Amino acid sequence: MTTATPSTATPAVHSAPVARDQERRATRLMTWLFLAPTVIGLGLFLLIPIIGSVVLSFFSWDIISAPKFDGFANYAAIGSDPTVRRAFVNTFAFVVIVVVLQLVVSLFLAVLVQTKMPDWLRTFFRSAFFFPLILSAASVSLIMSYLFNADFGLVNEVLTAVGLPKVGWLTTGNGAVVVVILVYVWQNFGFTFLLFLGGLSAIPTELYEASSIDGVNAWQRFRHITLPMLSPTTLVASVMATISALQIFDQPYVLTRGGPGDSTRTAVMMIYESAFQDLAFGRAFAIGVVLTLCIMAVTGLQFLISRRSVHYQ
Amino acid sequence: MELNRRAFLGLAGVAAVGTALSAKRLVGADIPGRGENALSVAINGTAQDAAARAGLIAAFARRHPDIPVTFIPIQAQDWGDFFAKILTMVAAGSPPDVVDVATEGTQLFAARLAHPLDDFVKRDASELKEFFDDVSPALIESFMYQGSLFQMPFNFNAANMYYNTTVVNAAGLGRPQDDWDKDTFTTYAKALAKARPQGFLPYFWTNRLFGGVVPWLYANDTCFLTHEKAPGGDWLWERFYPGQPPRSGGFLWPAPNALDPRVVETFDYLRELVAERLSSSPAQGGGNELVARFAQGDIGMTPAGGYWAQGLHDGGMGPDGFDVTYFPRWRTQRQSFGAEGYAVMKTSTRKDQAWEWIKFCISSEGIKLAIPKPNTTPARRSLVDAAFYSDTGPKHWKVFYDTLDHHDCWPIPAPPQQAGTQNALIKNTPNAITGSAADTRNALATFQRDLEIAMGSKQ
Repeated sequence: MTTATPSTATPAVHSAPVARDQERRATRLMTWLFLAPTVIGLGLFLLIPIIGSVVLSFFSWDIISAPKFDGFANYAAIGSDPTVRRAFVNTFAFVVIVVVLQLVVSLFLAVLVQTKMPDWLRTFFRSAFFFPLILSAASVSLIMSYLFNADFGLVNEVLTAVGLPKVGWLTTGNGAVVVVILVYVWQNFGFTFLLFLGGLSAIPTELYEASSIDGVNAWQRFRHITLPMLSPTTLVASVMATISALQIFDQPYVLTRGGPGDSTRTAVMMIYESAFQDLAFGRAFAIGVVLTLCIMAVTGLQFLISRRSVHYQ
Repeated sequence: MELNRRAFLGLAGVAAVGTALSAKRLVGADIPGRGENALSVAINGTAQDAAARAGLIAAFARRHPDIPVTFIPIQAQDWGDFFAKILTMVAAGSPPDVVDVATEGTQLFAARLAHPLDDFVKRDASELKEFFDDVSPALIESFMYQGSLFQMPFNFNAANMYYNTTVVNAAGLGRPQDDWDKDTFTTYAKALAKARPQGFLPYFWTNRLFGGVVPWLYANDTCFLTHEKAPGGDWLWERFYPGQPPRSGGFLWPAPNALDPRVVETFDYLRELVAERLSSSPAQGGGNELVARFAQGDIGMTPAGGYWAQGLHDGGMGPDGFDVTYFPRWRTQRQSFGAEGYAVMKTSTRKDQAWEWIKFCISSEGIKLAIPKPNTTPARRSLVDAAFYSDTGPKHWKVFYDTLDHHDCWPIPAPPQQAGTQNALIKNTPNAITGSAADTRNALATFQRDLEIAMGSKQ
């Protein structure tokens, strides 16, 4: 019973690998078929434009005439242009302030919303905090420009009513920076807020119950349980907020056009102005490449730092 | 069929190479719906604005049933934004045949994108005589560049001075003289401030090229760019405006001039007005938000064009509630204006059709259809009459056209690098009119530097 004829044994031995091969091929085909739309989309709308931008950053091109190879001239020009330097400094300063504000405000509100309250009220707050995000940034900025108008804006009317002097919100450098930051944070904290809500709901309640038994107060609970358990969420939220903030354009463009002076000019505004106002597309691409490298560096740095401070369990 | 990774990447590569090879052919016009067999006319406005001009297309179609026309409405924050979007259409390979261009973009289009109209004008000279007889040569000169004509004006707006008659009368002031000067203007501002101390601004202006600092610079016989007049254009002046004072081949704005002592003096004057709360400290923006404030009596005076007559009427002001006069004199009483007309794109394959469209749009019938209400000033003198302003006012509506005729009147300064120079103006003006005299000089030094970069005289 233990013997078998070769004629029956051989096909049995061969058919299994063949079947496995066919299965692997089918799986591979299906994998690539399912990936194809994404790969093609990313290739067409991301990879090719990125490569094109890098290449064109070495050209002088005004969109109307043919591009002319210019070597590193565009990079040299943006390095020596005080407006571009100021725009990058503004952008990084803006990112630091905005990301910190966004995280603090979102976390604070998420923790508040997670406290005991009727479900309908919680739903209301969730919707209300998220609502600004679905509005067009240009529309919001336009409305805010009316609210913060130095002469007739509602904000200054209120200040005057309580005996305070009017502030040149959009006509002074500091005032304009404050308004741009406020408007941006107000409109964007909703997404971070939702991330934190998700993160908070994933923290096991046993940890809080155990800490209550140990007599831990609210601050200690927040400091030693909530914050560490939220660290992966905080990492994701900060990376996303940073990438988004580095690309700020709409708010300063509509509110101040980068002014007064260059006080609210940002890197992406410089890309737009170089390309569509100065018709210096090569320079615009060069600024774009530098900004992309900055985003990659900052994001890498965040992940590097996160190795020590993010707790996944 | 097996599709392994290598084969897949190979196919993707072939696709990429194919796309690259066909790039010259694969342009925006290949998108279904684009590149239809119609004359495409890009206008600065919304789909509603395009719909409002449907009557214009219908009337044109009755006269030229063989030339179908399609409007491409492009919504933009200002003219610079509009031109940027036209450039993206050029880059996408689907430029329109005809573009609605204001003075802000005349020289950009003339230098790079537009086809000169000289041959068409010469060919149809007898037909056009009636048009030129009806239009101020100042408007025509503003659309000339290096001796060639690139647009035909159908409307314009001069930066005149509007004032709220109720507020002015309440302050014991009457209508200013036509040749009033800067000092009289200051006296008016102070008297208005005294009469209405709370929540009121005697003078409100907006930080932009039209109606911002420029009218004051012109009045002080200067500008933030140097100016010259190009030679040429005699072919037009001698034929259509014989016996009139000599005109040029167009304005030129060759170099930055922000540190000219008179420019400094002008900004100093505006800074003092702001410091004394006689004037707004303007943020960047358009003029629409002003209407309600002006109608409510919160503003005494403001520079604006004929377009405001309808705006104030819609804002609830009666014909006698406001009036208009010339911009005041300083060293000169040079006035400023901006005009609008269609430009034919160099790339258009329908230039003859485009010319027919332009001729129709500058005809009396075309302008009446395009401008049924005084929300701008028609380029034809014969259409700027009492009937046109009967519902809206102002009483001295003649000021709108007389500005072109009776004063040294220049277009707003807009070289081919207008986007950059306007941006430099807008971004540096707030710093130049707030703070101390030293701040003004520092801001103007930055303004000069930015202008040099924009004009390409400094990298």
